[in-house]
Amino acid sequence: MSITELIQTDPGPSVSVASDRSAAPVIEVAHLHKKYGATVAVDDVSFTVHPGEIFGILGRNGAGKTTAVECITGLRTADRGEISVLGLDPRRDRRELHERVGVQLQESAVPELMRVGEAVELYASFYREPADGRELIATLGLQDAQHTYFKHLSGGQKQRLSVVLALIGQPEIAVLDELTTGLDPEARRDTWRLIEGVRAHGVTIVLVTHFMEEAERLCDRVALIDHGRVVALDRPGALAIAASTSKRVRFTPTEPFFDELLSALPEVSSVEHHGPEVVVAGSGDLVTAVVLALHRAGIRADDVQTETANLEDAFLALTDETTHDTNGLTR
Amino acid sequence: MSTSAITLTPRQRRAFGLLVASEIKIAIRRPVGLVVAVGIPFALLVIFGSIPATTRPDAKLGGISFFNLYVPTLLVFVLIAVGLMTLPQQLSAYRRQGVLRRMSTTPVHPSWVLAAQTTVSMILAVIGLTILLGAGAGAYGLALPHDAGGYLVSFVVLVLTATATLGLGLLVAAVAGSPQIAQALTAAVFYPLAFFSGLYVPLQEIHSQVIQDIAKVLPTGAGFNALHAAFGGHSPGVEPLLVLAVWAVGSWVIATRLFRWE
Repeated sequence: MSITELIQTDPGPSVSVASDRSAAPVIEVAHLHKKYGATVAVDDVSFTVHPGEIFGILGRNGAGKTTAVECITGLRTADRGEISVLGLDPRRDRRELHERVGVQLQESAVPELMRVGEAVELYASFYREPADGRELIATLGLQDAQHTYFKHLSGGQKQRLSVVLALIGQPEIAVLDELTTGLDPEARRDTWRLIEGVRAHGVTIVLVTHFMEEAERLCDRVALIDHGRVVALDRPGALAIAASTSKRVRFTPTEPFFDELLSALPEVSSVEHHGPEVVVAGSGDLVTAVVLALHRAGIRADDVQTETANLEDAFLALTDETTHDTNGLTR
Repeated sequence: MSTSAITLTPRQRRAFGLLVASEIKIAIRRPVGLVVAVGIPFALLVIFGSIPATTRPDAKLGGISFFNLYVPTLLVFVLIAVGLMTLPQQLSAYRRQGVLRRMSTTPVHPSWVLAAQTTVSMILAVIGLTILLGAGAGAYGLALPHDAGGYLVSFVVLVLTATATLGLGLLVAAVAGSPQIAQALTAAVFYPLAFFSGLYVPLQEIHSQVIQDIAKVLPTGAGFNALHAAFGGHSPGVEPLLVLAVWAVGSWVIATRLFRWE
């Protein structure tokens, strides 16, 4: 069965395609280290990716994501560490690796004066068992642009073409770097559906992104990378729960009070005043503890708001310290 | 950069064929090479071939016509245009735009693009040279080499000159960080080389020993001198061939050492 037939059978968001954890990992990375001159791009990165998984690599620009991916796909030589992809050494077995791993990178293009159909036919000829290019073009909604020069494509069309080219070799693993950057929300959702469809066919996907929403929506597991290190690696939901241990409550008290009233509570880590509003950070059953303590002092808390943690909070909590206090909060 | 046709599988041959075909299409869609390497020399040939004064033997030029003197210059011009006016710009644009990076993620090495472009450049050179020689001899009475030896020497000179100019183009692409720098470097190399092929003033009319000495060690000057001799029925001697060989080998060795795919 060809890859495109399966992309078209949309599994729908409710279908969860379990990745096979019992099978041998398709990607194993251990203590990857890479520097450019004196600049350490990747300090120490380890993770494994299982067959059929959508594995997210999440981090800010400059965190080392792209360099890590370039080492894994054989485009760069790591300074230290072990990498095995489908049992291959990315540098030594580079050509075989590229037969079986489709890669979509940032800042990559086909010649300006090449037409979409020509690029797909050309790239198909590079692979042992290429997919049907015309089907893939239709699946990605590029059939009307078949005869368009690359330089005349819109940003979204260029992205979709790069997905076609990443999948044209019927890869076992697809590595997609910042796939939806620059796409409008609708095109982004379409691309997400496409990725889920590709995975439904059994293709393992490594998704590099700095969009929390994207990682949360698509990934089975996420590695958070910051300053060249994996700071967390788990399911997106589990990461969010981990972050929720440090949550915040905002309210407006009916009367002023001494901070000690709340900061003495074991659940509370900090108390701050923003005009009439008070922001309390802490963990556990924070709301109940705060409201009860105020009640005992005869103070009522109005407009109580709690901030629920999501992957974005996890991201902020687990990565660079300096980004926390944009709103004057400490955690 | 070792793309030997002997080691290619049928699938790789097909891929390379498609790559060459798409580079040909691109060369037709943006016909800079066709205009500079084929159109301009052909236009010059027609102009000088049609003026009676330039086709008459001239005592100042050693008894041959300006036209017969100028055709070897045009042949060399075709080769510097092919090597320098398209290859470096295209390659540095491909590197800047990420075309080489895109290809490096496939089973095909980006050096294939280079091999395909070199192939297209050689096709372009053959077209340019064939038109000049065909039209020159057929319509304007161009004096061709007298014997097989003359043809053989001319052929060797053209191949060496083409290798040298392509190597120089590659060298420009290797050291130029951006298409703009490639453009500037090309101009800095192209116009002096064109001068020493005799494009602006025939070398025979420049009575300066310094200029003549410089011409002898440059690929265009050596190429012109050797072709001029061979077309006139004389032996060019070993020196220009050696100069050309050094440029041909040297430029390729240095360029391949310096070239970066990203």
